[in-house]
Amino acid sequence: MAQSQLDTPFGTQEAFHAAFAELYPRLVSYARRYGANFPEDIAQEAFVILMQREIRVEHPTAFLYGTVRTLSLTERRPMKNQNLSLEVVAEPGLAGGADDQVLNQEVRERMRMLSPTFREALWLFVVEGLSIREIADILDIPEATVKTRIHRAKAQLKEQLNPSGGVHVLV
Amino acid sequence: MSWSDPARRFEPVEDVQLRAELRDLLGLGPVVASNAVAPNAELTALADDLRREAQRRSRTQRKRPTWGLLAAAALPLLATLAGLGTWGFQQKQRADGLAVQAQRQEQELTQLASTHATEVARERQAKEEVQQQLQLASRKGGRRTEPYLVIPVEKPIRAGGGDYQRVKQNPR
Repeated sequence: MAQSQLDTPFGTQEAFHAAFAELYPRLVSYARRYGANFPEDIAQEAFVILMQREIRVEHPTAFLYGTVRTLSLTERRPMKNQNLSLEVVAEPGLAGGADDQVLNQEVRERMRMLSPTFREALWLFVVEGLSIREIADILDIPEATVKTRIHRAKAQLKEQLNPSGGVHVLV
Repeated sequence: MSWSDPARRFEPVEDVQLRAELRDLLGLGPVVASNAVAPNAELTALADDLRREAQRRSRTQRKRPTWGLLAAAALPLLATLAGLGTWGFQQKQRADGLAVQAQRQEQELTQLASTHATEVARERQAKEEVQQQLQLASRKGGRRTEPYLVIPVEKPIRAGGGDYQRVKQNPR
């Protein structure tokens, strides 16, 4: 039984199937947001790379997101547009996943107003629901930097909502 | 429990609160507790295919050489280097010994040469002294001095009259 727990990066076979069913559409959507031409292939390749590893990964979800991000950016490399970070989040319908049904036009507009660096961390934290530690693994930056980016994104969001500088007018 | 559920990853309370606050700012509403996607047959088959693909790649992928293998490969080279080092050390020791021996022999030869030169000088001096004494002695004896050393010899013994045969008659 203990051997079957180590069969997959997510534990048992059933746990792997459940994790795959939940993460695969999200990873496809994530790759599509980076402008990947073949997001399904990238998501599948990420799963294969994860399961191919001999050393057990501590955070498999973060590893999958990081791999998808790297593969998507590598696919985009010939276009020489590496600086683009989740730019397509503002374009409705491009992601094509369940998140687009959740994100309405107003939310997309608010996300679009943020700087790309803060938007990426905010997206992973809020929409994808990943932890600070996992985001740090994905973006290959320290946890403190992730927190800083999220807090700055929060400040920018607050500024969008209240551009007059904090003076609330009660009507 | 969903894989995206923050409670599964033991997030700190402040992070959960921050996420809720940000969702509120974005107008996304509260986090839905459990919206896990049930694995359908298509996704399950795809997951199994990917797993088989990973296993196939793991089997066929060329393994990276391990440290043990690298050490085993480097062993002959290390042995050769060690042998060469030992041989070189021995050669150096031998060369040092020969150099010391040659130096000692050179010192002995120098010492012998100086001893020989001293002996020659002493002989020459003795000869000169002898010649001086001979010249002095000949001057005192009134004899004609010879420029060379005369060794006195005994006169030959004259043979007796009956020791020979006359072969010719005396004329009468």
